[in-house]
Amino acid sequence: MTAHSSKPPEPLLSVAGAEVRYGTSRAFSNCSFHILPGEMVSLIGPSGCGKTSLLYAIAGLLKPAGGTIQLQGGGNACSLMFQQDRLLPWKTLLDNVLLGLDSSRRDEAASLLETFGLGSHAGRYPHKLSGGERQRGALARSVIRRPRLLLLDEPFSSLDEQTRESLQDEIKGYIMKHHTAMFLVTHSISEAVFMGSRILVMTSDGILRQRENPCHSRENLRELDEFYRLEKILRSDLSGIPGRVQ
Amino acid sequence: MNYLKGTAAVVLLWYLLAALVSAPIVPFPHRAAARLAVSLTGEASYLHMLFSLYRMAGGMVLALLLGIPVGMLAGRLRSLDQVISPVLYLLYPVPKIAFLPVFMVLLGIGDVSKIALIASIIFFPIAVSIKDGVREISLEYAELASAFHLTPREMIRDILFPGVLPRIFTSLRITLGISLSVLFISENYAASYGLGYAVMNHWIMADYTGMYAFIILLSTLGFGLYLLIDLLERVCLPWKS
Repeated sequence: MTAHSSKPPEPLLSVAGAEVRYGTSRAFSNCSFHILPGEMVSLIGPSGCGKTSLLYAIAGLLKPAGGTIQLQGGGNACSLMFQQDRLLPWKTLLDNVLLGLDSSRRDEAASLLETFGLGSHAGRYPHKLSGGERQRGALARSVIRRPRLLLLDEPFSSLDEQTRESLQDEIKGYIMKHHTAMFLVTHSISEAVFMGSRILVMTSDGILRQRENPCHSRENLRELDEFYRLEKILRSDLSGIPGRVQ
Repeated sequence: MNYLKGTAAVVLLWYLLAALVSAPIVPFPHRAAARLAVSLTGEASYLHMLFSLYRMAGGMVLALLLGIPVGMLAGRLRSLDQVISPVLYLLYPVPKIAFLPVFMVLLGIGDVSKIALIASIIFFPIAVSIKDGVREISLEYAELASAFHLTPREMIRDILFPGVLPRIFTSLRITLGISLSVLFISENYAASYGLGYAVMNHWIMADYTGMYAFIILLSTLGFGLYLLIDLLERVCLPWKS
């Protein structure tokens, strides 16, 4: 036995037997999984299976009715990007990014907007921006908080295909560069495969299955045979579950 | 340009009415305008206007100072709303001018009672409108505020107040007309300055041309306040334009 035996990394997020209820109706139950630091995990499942509720429970917006959700560093360690950008219409893009932050971080916010190609839009109001630009702004607002875990709630669903793919590339690149962990909720199988190094399949009874994505970090992923193979496998995983998945 | 067209239409109608009636009670507009020009050479008309403006502005500011916190609290705290809303809805439709004697007895016959009366008219629509606005905003942005760990102060400063600001301007605009009417009535009691007093004083003295000159001044005050509200709205809500 060597003195430097490598210890498996501690999970950043541990979800064990979690359950969320809205009054008497159950959103999901018996949900267990973990996310390691820097890991990119996608979650797919049919409409109404409780994906967004799970995400909100991790973000602390919903209180689990049962089980445990443990996030290293507490609520401040994660940052949520909503399905709609939810930029405040009365604030400029720069001020939206700075929401709840000290104004001393103005330069940092401006430089982040520059990174996302929005440098010239910093002083504009959200209604003057395109859907893709607004989502990039919402992403900047989430990542400026330097979260250890970035929670994404179908952030590409309202975008056209071209914008969606370019934003996926951008977000993935940024997350990988900064070694941030990601938990993406999506309806789209191809999106889940493109973004996640591990893909979880969820039903309202918990995590049904998980699949590793060995080609996650390879170039031109969307053109690889492995991409379509994994997409096919996931489609077959979901085929027995009632509900809509793209 | 639209304002000019509107003014031209009103003047035209006035000329027609004056020609039809053909009596001193409806003088021709150019006579009233000439009389106004003469009045403006003396300081009395400016004093009348300043007193009216002071009472209107005082009433508006007082209504905002009271209406904004009451509306915000009722919108945010359901338990408090259960007490505030029934009071608001009971008192809202009551004609406030009926309380002029009460205000005069309680607050004196000076400016305070007149300002309080105007404030009581503007207060209700502002409070109700802010309450409804806060409730709508809460649904939309409460999750955002929680997700980004905003403090209650940041929630008010960054989300609630700017969110209800358009409603505040709309309420001010809606209540301006009725506030001017109440100002007019209140200035006819225990007042020696104010446009309402000036109009009625000229009427009592059967100086109808002078009366119309001050009606023009009262309309100008109302119009000026509308323009001021529009201007403030453009400055405070640049994202709306």
